[in-house]
Amino acid sequence: MKTLANMTLIASTFFALAALAQEQGHLNVRTVVQKEEVTVNDSGETERNLVPTDTVVPGDDVIYTITFTNISDESAENIVITNPISENLTYVQGSAFGPGTVIEFSVDNGQSFAAPDELRVGINGETRPAQAEDFTHVRWTMQNELEAGAQGMARFRARLN
Amino acid sequence: MQFLLVSAIFACSNAAWATGTAAGTVIDNMVTVNFDLSGVNTTQDSNTVTLTVLERLDVVVTLQSPQIVVAPGETNRSLLFTVTNTGNGNDELELFIDSTLTGDDFDPLPASPAIYFDTDASGDFTVGDLAYVQGGNDPQLAADESVDMLLVNDIPPAVVDGWFGRSELTATSTAGTGLPGETLAGLGDGGLDAVIGASGGTAAVFGEYLIGDVEISIQKSVVVSNPLGGTEPTVGATLNYTITVEVTNGGIATASVFSDPIPAFSTYVTSSILLNGGNLTDVIDVDAGELDTSGAPAVVVRLGDLTLADGVQTIEFQVTID
Repeated sequence: MKTLANMTLIASTFFALAALAQEQGHLNVRTVVQKEEVTVNDSGETERNLVPTDTVVPGDDVIYTITFTNISDESAENIVITNPISENLTYVQGSAFGPGTVIEFSVDNGQSFAAPDELRVGINGETRPAQAEDFTHVRWTMQNELEAGAQGMARFRARLN
Repeated sequence: MQFLLVSAIFACSNAAWATGTAAGTVIDNMVTVNFDLSGVNTTQDSNTVTLTVLERLDVVVTLQSPQIVVAPGETNRSLLFTVTNTGNGNDELELFIDSTLTGDDFDPLPASPAIYFDTDASGDFTVGDLAYVQGGNDPQLAADESVDMLLVNDIPPAVVDGWFGRSELTATSTAGTGLPGETLAGLGDGGLDAVIGASGGTAAVFGEYLIGDVEISIQKSVVVSNPLGGTEPTVGATLNYTITVEVTNGGIATASVFSDPIPAFSTYVTSSILLNGGNLTDVIDVDAGELDTSGAPAVVVRLGDLTLADGVQTIEFQVTID
């Protein structure tokens, strides 16, 4: 328990520093990467917890979570969050999540975005429906404004090739 | 057809053995947020988070030999295996043989040494193959790289037709083995941690020897040429015999000798014996054949030790009708 408390303290300090560095933007945008840890508790129930990670092996899933906090004293409007998907990662179908957002994807390196079923990719002069492995970016567009002091979040899961 | 088959196998191999992102790869993630505040459009970047790809230890062993047909007491019979590093980094593999498996009828007897590199890529044990020495020349394989290895066993004499015996090759990462997902601190590429893959860092596959007689296919055909024209087998016509000999299973036809008497009412045509297109003299000398006149005249050709790998042996000779 003592170790956990120390880690929380370190984490808080880090977040405060990060917030300070990004204060000028009026939104504090933060991304973290985590893995899902599956454990069985004393009652025999399966528990899934997200734990921070900085390493990965092929086939592993990682979860990117983006939080954005309006640290100005006015509402922010037309918020669009764009996350490139590394060429070494494959988006996990259906995993993108973001309350109050419309989620779209790009298959052309962020030039254009659309819903998954509207995207096509070209092969040898012909096109086919896009697959999750074609996605180069994921984008969340907030439907409503973000009031001063409010926080939003977005998340997706990807698998290391 | 054979070419097509091989292509298909390679295609499958590539799909099954894709090793994934190389160990040591660094993956950064940074998010961009665009928004309007007081009518001013602003773009804000997030912090960057970094993932480092660790080495995943995985190995696959595949048996390349069919069930090998052998005879009791044969020596140095080999089974061919391919060992592949299906991890995403450089791995060193130790190899082991086990010929005392259960579930078979007899135990093959490992030769000494018993594990060889298939140095000449013949698929079979030959004098040019390099012996494997554990801890001395352990295969070092890059991601997705493979090496062909041979297990060499002798066949015990006290075995009977239809019995089969197994011999197993095990390949194990020298970094270590364990449960999938287990971490080996500092033992991966570049001093990073290694992670045990689905194989557990080790793989084993056995091949089989079957005690059985060799199967040989022999076919004889004749072409008649008549000096008067046409193909009527009348007096003075020449009969050109072609005999093909082929081993059709995994056995060895040891010291095979072909012998064919000259038919009655016909005369052997001097210097007409051909083996695979090459002329053999009629006298007994260093070449592989002759016209044996010690009894009733017969064409004799010594084919040596024949196996499936030798393919079709073609013998030709001619006689004239008396």
